[in-house]
Amino acid sequence: MRKYLLKRVFYMILTLFLVATITFFLMKLMPGTPYSNQQKMTAQQIQIMNEQYGLNKPMWMQYLIYLGGMLHGDLGVSFQFSNQPVSYLIASRIGASAQLGIQAMIFGVVLGIVIGSIAAVNKNTWIDTLCTILSIIGKSVPNFVLAVLLQFYIALKLGWFPIADWGGFSYTVLPTIALGVGPLAETARFIRTGMVDVLNSDYIELAKAKGMSRYGIVWHHALRNSLIPLVTLIGPYTVALMTGSMVIENIFSIPGIGEQFVKSILTNDYPTIMGVTMLFSAGLVAVILLTDIIYGIIDPRIRLSGSGD
Amino acid sequence: MKINKFAKLGAVAMLSAVFLAACGSKDSSSKQVLNWDETAELPTMDLSKATDRVSFDALNNTNEGLYRLGKDSKIEPGIATKTTVANDGLKYTFNLRKDAKWSNGDKVTAKDFVYSWQRTVKPSTGSQYAYLFSGIQNADDITAGKKSASTLGVKAEGNYKLVVTLDKRVPYFKLLMGFPSFYPQSQKAVDKYGSKYGTASKYMVYNGPFELTKWTGSNLSWTLKKNNDYWDKKNVKLSAINYKVNKSNSTGYNLYQSGKLDMTYLNSEQAKQLADSKELVIRHGASTFYLEYNQTKKEFQNKKIRQALSLVINRKQFTGKVLGDGSTVAKGLVASDMAKHNGKDFADDAYVKDATANDVTKAKKLWSEGLKELGVKELSFALLSDDTDKAKDSTEFLQSQIEENLAGAKVSVSNVPFKTRLDRSVKGNFDVVVTAWSADFADPISFLDLLTSDNSYNNGKWKNAEYDKLIESSKSTNAGNTTKRWNDLVQAHKVLMEDQGISPLYQQANATMLKSKVKGVIYNAAGVNYNFKDAYIK
Repeated sequence: MRKYLLKRVFYMILTLFLVATITFFLMKLMPGTPYSNQQKMTAQQIQIMNEQYGLNKPMWMQYLIYLGGMLHGDLGVSFQFSNQPVSYLIASRIGASAQLGIQAMIFGVVLGIVIGSIAAVNKNTWIDTLCTILSIIGKSVPNFVLAVLLQFYIALKLGWFPIADWGGFSYTVLPTIALGVGPLAETARFIRTGMVDVLNSDYIELAKAKGMSRYGIVWHHALRNSLIPLVTLIGPYTVALMTGSMVIENIFSIPGIGEQFVKSILTNDYPTIMGVTMLFSAGLVAVILLTDIIYGIIDPRIRLSGSGD
Repeated sequence: MKINKFAKLGAVAMLSAVFLAACGSKDSSSKQVLNWDETAELPTMDLSKATDRVSFDALNNTNEGLYRLGKDSKIEPGIATKTTVANDGLKYTFNLRKDAKWSNGDKVTAKDFVYSWQRTVKPSTGSQYAYLFSGIQNADDITAGKKSASTLGVKAEGNYKLVVTLDKRVPYFKLLMGFPSFYPQSQKAVDKYGSKYGTASKYMVYNGPFELTKWTGSNLSWTLKKNNDYWDKKNVKLSAINYKVNKSNSTGYNLYQSGKLDMTYLNSEQAKQLADSKELVIRHGASTFYLEYNQTKKEFQNKKIRQALSLVINRKQFTGKVLGDGSTVAKGLVASDMAKHNGKDFADDAYVKDATANDVTKAKKLWSEGLKELGVKELSFALLSDDTDKAKDSTEFLQSQIEENLAGAKVSVSNVPFKTRLDRSVKGNFDVVVTAWSADFADPISFLDLLTSDNSYNNGKWKNAEYDKLIESSKSTNAGNTTKRWNDLVQAHKVLMEDQGISPLYQQANATMLKSKVKGVIYNAAGVNYNFKDAYIK
């Protein structure tokens, strides 16, 4: 197990290194400069600025400098937010995104499991059809449409929750719902399919024969065995949600990280592009490792020691 | 069993989220509080480094220079009490008030101006607005790294007298003094906060009508609080201005309707729907969008081709139906309602009707004549523009107007990101580009300088000797005579328009909603937009 973990961590670092390298050189291929007032600066002024920021150095040298800094935990200073260290920008804005992402996942997955289980247990009845319709709607309505509707009807018209802003739990309710409906629908679909299969298997028949209650069968046998495909899904989904949903964050005026990434690319803010990309990648590789470990916990048949080779 | 644990864990996480986030903010319902919408974050309060509208607005209301920009871009007294200008216009002596203070209790002195200006022009600071200092003695050499910052033509004579020496006349010099790049900075604060200077409200000192608070450097809300150390505090009526960043216009308008905001920005859909509202306020920017032709190419050296392309465009339909955000048909390159002389607006004075008219018959005639002169039957070219929704709608409209009306015209549209568009413009890698220019200060020269033959921003390479001569005359022979200088600039603009060196499209505007109880807000199109010193709530 330890050997396996060490090996996996080594691959993780290798992956991150490759991501950093590829992103760095791709990013430098983008036309333009990171200066927002570029339009009004002459070529000579831009040259002087490049010297100030070390952007006139050969690209390989810039790369080594950046990599050196990153190893020391220095992600550089943002261009859009002048003088502001990228690590501060990320640290001060990842919290809201992460909280929202986790809440949305918990909301979506828990409710999704419940709805999916109900649908599976009541297979081919009107309850099943209703649940299926609900999850299709949840899957096909884009979350920003839902967000706008929730904001208008629930917040503005009914006044139950704040319209936008970030302050306390009440501020997170509507964005959580808007963001969580996607995973909810997906989870419900997966659980239903998985559980219908499981409920048809022999060991469920055996459990029934033993006289276990319907609730007991679902809880102890069926659900656990239908969770495996879900775990594959939840990992990357969580990372995606935690690192911010630009649209939802914009609609509810949430100080998250979502828009930073897009904006940094549009403005050629090199250090921020690198910082946010590395954060995303690190999150993703960590979650992939975690997922593999969780597989083993849920299903001992998946042996960790074998899967790394 | 495991499920049970997961469920518990989930519940714990949910609960802790509740507690973690349970520090809400209360709305202040005091009367003289303004709740203001903003569309982007505040990136910096370091005035040497600021480049954007949000920073300049915040700097303008929390700091003060020699002058403040008042209504209609008129300069109002700031730190300067008396100004003398030498006869040759090359030396300005400013007497400073003695009761101006920084928020740390220090007095604002002439040294703070000298320090601030030197800091901005020094290449190591990396200011993107250092070019505005061009004209002040040695400024160009300092920004180019040839001279040290201490040689800049600005000196403190004692604590309360500032002497500025210019290399050449700068007729709009006083106007520039109302722009944040020319405000003073406290060296003590810069040294004390080091690399943190201007990165959060606490790492900064203020000398203006308001103080910045609650800004962490990356958050979406901040508050301007009345500055009780401000020399003219008795005339500042607002006790606070709460800024909230809302990147979605629908959110902004929802908050406005619920009374949480006193002003909000509208998108063009909302602006069209609210066209009849009494609270709709259109804020024109000193920013003109126009077609720039690549005149290193034979086809665009042909004046008739350029004229025809301009005449086919129905600009009224363009601004009304396509843009719909309050933008108006441009009268020329220089934005309307920006610069006035003897009560006359420059855009009206220098208006050439044909240059922005819509006359399809005439366009068709000129087009076929032009093609004949070029010896071709058809002309295909690319129209370059940004890739925003608005830019895409614009190019689509222009393309259809041109192709529908001009026989043999084939337009391919290329929508690229802003920085790519700039890059291609500078390199001359375009046929026709939809571009824009906005003025840093309310003088026509901030637009007209663009199109002189040797100007590095003249990407289309339009060249006209008469135009160059008139601009030069406005800067030398007639620089000291306001009327003659004005006439030079008017003539130059007419030359540009008659030759259709560029084709103006529209003057950009922002549609906003403003509660009628809010009074006294000063808005200027050029330079800094908002000045809240005189604002109040009725």
